[in-house]
Amino acid sequence: MSSVYVWKIGGPAGFGIMTTGPMFAKVLKASGYHVHGYPEYPSLVRGGYNCYQIAFGDTEVTAPYKKIDMYVALSDECFNREKFEESTYVIGDFANLKNAGDIKAKKIDVPLMGIVKELDGPDIMRNSVALGAAAALLGLDFALLEKNLTAAYKEKVAKINIEAAKKGYESVRERYSVVCKPAPDKCAPALYVTGNEATSIGAIAGGLTFFSTYPMTPASSILHYLAKCTREHGLVVKHTEDEISGINMAVGAAFAGARAMTGTAGGGFSLMNEGLGLAAITEVPIVLAVSQRPGPATGMATWTEQGDLKYVINSSQSEFIRAVYSPGSVEECYKFTFDALNLAEKYHIPVFVLLDKFLSESHFMAEKMPETGDVERGYLFEGNEEEPMAYFNRFAEKKDGVGVRVIPGTKGGLYIASSNEHTDEGFVSDKADVRKRQVERRFRKLKPLTDDMPHPELFGKKDAPLTFVCFGSVKMMLLEAMKHTDKFNFIHFPAVNPLNWEKVKKMLEGRNLCVMENNYTAQLRGIIAENTGIIIEKTFLKYDGRPFFNEEIVSFAEEAAK
Amino acid sequence: MKALDYNTTQKPVWCPGCGNFAIWNGIKKALAEAGIEPHKLALVSGIGCSGKMINHVRAYGFHGLHGRTMPVATGIRLANPEMKVLVNGGDGDGYGMGVGHFVHAMRRNVDLTYIVHNNKVYGLTTGQASPTNEIGSPSKSTPFGVVDEPLNPIAIAIDAGATYVARGFSGDSEQLAELILGGLNHNGFALIDVFQPCVTFGGKYQYEYYQERVVKIENHDVTDADSALALSKTKDKLPIGLFYKVEGRPSYNEMHPEIEKAQVRKRDVTGLLEELV
Ligand SMILES: Cc1ncc(C[n+]2csc(CCOP(=O)(O)OP(=O)(O)O)c2C)c(N)n1
Ligand code: SF4
Repeated sequence: MSSVYVWKIGGPAGFGIMTTGPMFAKVLKASGYHVHGYPEYPSLVRGGYNCYQIAFGDTEVTAPYKKIDMYVALSDECFNREKFEESTYVIGDFANLKNAGDIKAKKIDVPLMGIVKELDGPDIMRNSVALGAAAALLGLDFALLEKNLTAAYKEKVAKINIEAAKKGYESVRERYSVVCKPAPDKCAPALYVTGNEATSIGAIAGGLTFFSTYPMTPASSILHYLAKCTREHGLVVKHTEDEISGINMAVGAAFAGARAMTGTAGGGFSLMNEGLGLAAITEVPIVLAVSQRPGPATGMATWTEQGDLKYVINSSQSEFIRAVYSPGSVEECYKFTFDALNLAEKYHIPVFVLLDKFLSESHFMAEKMPETGDVERGYLFEGNEEEPMAYFNRFAEKKDGVGVRVIPGTKGGLYIASSNEHTDEGFVSDKADVRKRQVERRFRKLKPLTDDMPHPELFGKKDAPLTFVCFGSVKMMLLEAMKHTDKFNFIHFPAVNPLNWEKVKKMLEGRNLCVMENNYTAQLRGIIAENTGIIIEKTFLKYDGRPFFNEEIVSFAEEAAK
Repeated sequence: MKALDYNTTQKPVWCPGCGNFAIWNGIKKALAEAGIEPHKLALVSGIGCSGKMINHVRAYGFHGLHGRTMPVATGIRLANPEMKVLVNGGDGDGYGMGVGHFVHAMRRNVDLTYIVHNNKVYGLTTGQASPTNEIGSPSKSTPFGVVDEPLNPIAIAIDAGATYVARGFSGDSEQLAELILGGLNHNGFALIDVFQPCVTFGGKYQYEYYQERVVKIENHDVTDADSALALSKTKDKLPIGLFYKVEGRPSYNEMHPEIEKAQVRKRDVTGLLEELV
C-alpha cells in the first residue's frame, strides 16, 4: 500500500504562503516524491487564513487529505483552524505563538523571527527559515532547497533567503532527528502544474490568437498566464470593461478570423449568456473556459463547487447546440482545450471547458502533456476573384449541417453574421420556412459532434461493490481514494454534452451506482436521468466549498459497501 | 466604385421619410469616395431601426446584440488589420444600453467609424424616450415627461478620448456624407452623432425642429478640446459639423504589436512546459 505524508503551511494572507507552499512542493518533487498541492484562502489581500497543503508520497498523489503530519504555523490563527493529532509535528516560533499552549502536537520550536532579525531581513523571510527547518526535519537535501530558492527570487533576495533557510535547517538538525515518512520513489522529473496553467498552455498549443475577458476568481490566472505570453507567442489578450464586452469582443475577433476564447467563473458567465447565444446563431466559433465556484451571485469567491453544470448546458434562451468538456485532470485540461478550439471551428459552435476552483488552482504532477492532433479549421471559403462583389451562402449546408466559413476580407465571400434569424447569406428574415430550415440544419451537427466527444470511462476493478459516477475534478479525488480501499470503482464523464446516451446507458446498467458531485442537487444525476431514464438513487454530495478529502471518500465507500 | 455599387438586393423597411435614408445615402457616397472595396469593409450594427442598415450596404456584416456593437467592432479591428470597420447603431443602443462600451472604445481610440442614429427615441420598440431626450418630453415609457437629464454624447466623446467627433443632420445629406468620409479617412475613433428624425415616434424632434435650430460650425479650431467642449454645450442652437479632431495619437491596433505574429497554427509549447518542471 502506498503511503502519503501531509505537509501544510498556514498564516494570514500577505505572509507569502502561496509562493512558499508551491516552492516547497518543488523541493519535495526534486527529492523524488510524487506531490499534490492544494491551496485554501479567503477573498482577502491581507489577513484571514491562508494555507497550502502538500500531500506527497511514493506513488502518484492527486487529492487533499484531512490529516496533517507536519505543519508550519506562521500565526496564532492556525490553532483555531486546524486539528492537530498527538503525532503531528508543528514547526513554529513558539515564543511568539500565544495560542499554542495546549496543543497536543509535537512542537518543533524554531526562532523564526530571531533568525530574521539576526540577518537583518524583512519579516516575510521567516518563511525561508521555516522551510529550512521543515527540510531538515524531513531529511531533505539542503542543496535542493537552495536551488529552488535561487530560482524563485532575484539574486540578492535569493542570497539572504538561502542564508535564512540554512540557519533554520541547522537549528533543527542540531536538535531533532529526521521524522518517519515514506521513502521517495525517485520518480522521473515532471511538471508541477495547475489546471488553469494546463488550460492556458493547451490553448496556446491549439493556435489561440485572441482572448478577452474580465478577471474573476478562480479563472483569473488563465487571463494572467495568457497575457504574459502575448508578445512571444503572437496572441491578443484583452482585459475588457466587463464580461459582456469580453465575450462580444471574442465573437467579433472570431468572426474576423481569429481563434478566440474567453474565460470566467459562473458570475461572469452570467453576464456572458447573451453573447453565448450570439455566437450560436451567428455560428461564430468560440471557446469558453468556465471555472466553477460556490454561488449564486458572488457566493464564495475562492472556494470550489460543481454547481454550474446544468447552467452551462442550458444557459441562454431558445435552443442550440454546444459542447461541454469536463476535464478531470491537468492532462485533460490541456488536451480538451486544444480539442475545444478545433471543435468550435469544425462545427461553428460555442464549446465549453468546464473547470472548478479545485482543478483550476491546485497543483498536480504530470509527466508530460498528452499528444494532440493538428490544428484544424474546418470548411473555409478560399474566395472568388471573378466575382468580388458577390454574396456567399455562408449558412447553406456543406455537410452534416455545417456551412462554409468565410474570413472577412475574402473576395466574393460577402455575408452577414446576424443575431437575427437569417437567410443563407445572412440577411434578416423571419419567414417560417427560413427559420425551420436553419434550425434543422444547425441541429444536424449534433450527430457528428456527439461522435467527436470523449466518452465516459470506468476506472478501477470491474467488479467493485460500489460504482461512483462523477464528472470533472472529482476524478482526481477518487483516484486518490482508490489507493486506500478496493470497495469502489468509478465512472468519470470527461464531457457531459452531447454524448451517445445509448452507450452511456449500457455502461451504467447493472451496477450499484452512486453519484458523487461537489453540489447540492446532484446535477449530473439529473442529466443522466433525462437522457437515459436511469435514476441513480444513492448520492454522495458535498457543497461546503471544499473538495472531497481522501478520508471522507474512503469511509463513505467502506460504509456504503457493507 | 460608385455609391450605387454598395446597394444590396434588400429593400429598406424604414418608414417613408425616416432620417435613416439620408444616413444610408451618406454612407454609400462616402464609401465610394473613400474607395473602400466591399470585401474590405466590416459593417457592424446594433439592434434597432438603425441596425437594419446592415441589410442595405454591400459589405461583410455583423449584426450584433442590442448595445454591444463596440466590443464586437473592437474584436474585428484587433483580429483583422485588413478591414475597415464602420458601425451603425441607435442612441438607445449606443448611449443607453451600450454607454459603458462606448466610453471604453473611445478611451482605447479603436480605429473605427461609429455613426449613431440619434432620434431621441427608441424607434423599433415603438417610441420610448432615449437617453438624449430632453426633460419634460412625453413618450410611451414616460407619459408624464422625461425626468432624467439628457446625455451629451459630443461632450462625453471629447472627454473620453475619441479623436474625431462630429455631428451631422439627416436634413443635410451633403455635409453628412463629408463627415462620414472624414471619419473613414481618420485613423482612430470617429464618432458621428446624427440628428435623425424618426417621423413615426419622434414627437417634436422632426425635420422642422432641427431646421430651426441647427447651425453649421464655422471658425472653430477643431484641435482645441476646450472650445469643442464649450461648443457642444451651446444651449439654444444646435451646432453641426466637425467639433474635434486630433491626429497622431496611436490607434488601438497600433498598440498591439503581437497582432503581426498572431497566426492560427499549432504552436510548440515545450518551452512553456519546461518552465513548470
Ligand atoms: C437585450 C435587449 N433588450 C431589449 C431589446 C429590445 N429593443 C430592440 S431595439 C430597442 C431600442 C432601439 O432604440 P435605438 O437604439 O434608439 O434605435 P432606433 O430603433 O431608434 O433606431 C430595444 C429596446 C433587445 N433587442 N435586446
Ligand atoms: S420608427 Fe422611426 S426610426 Fe424607425 S424606421 Fe420609422 S421613422 Fe425611422
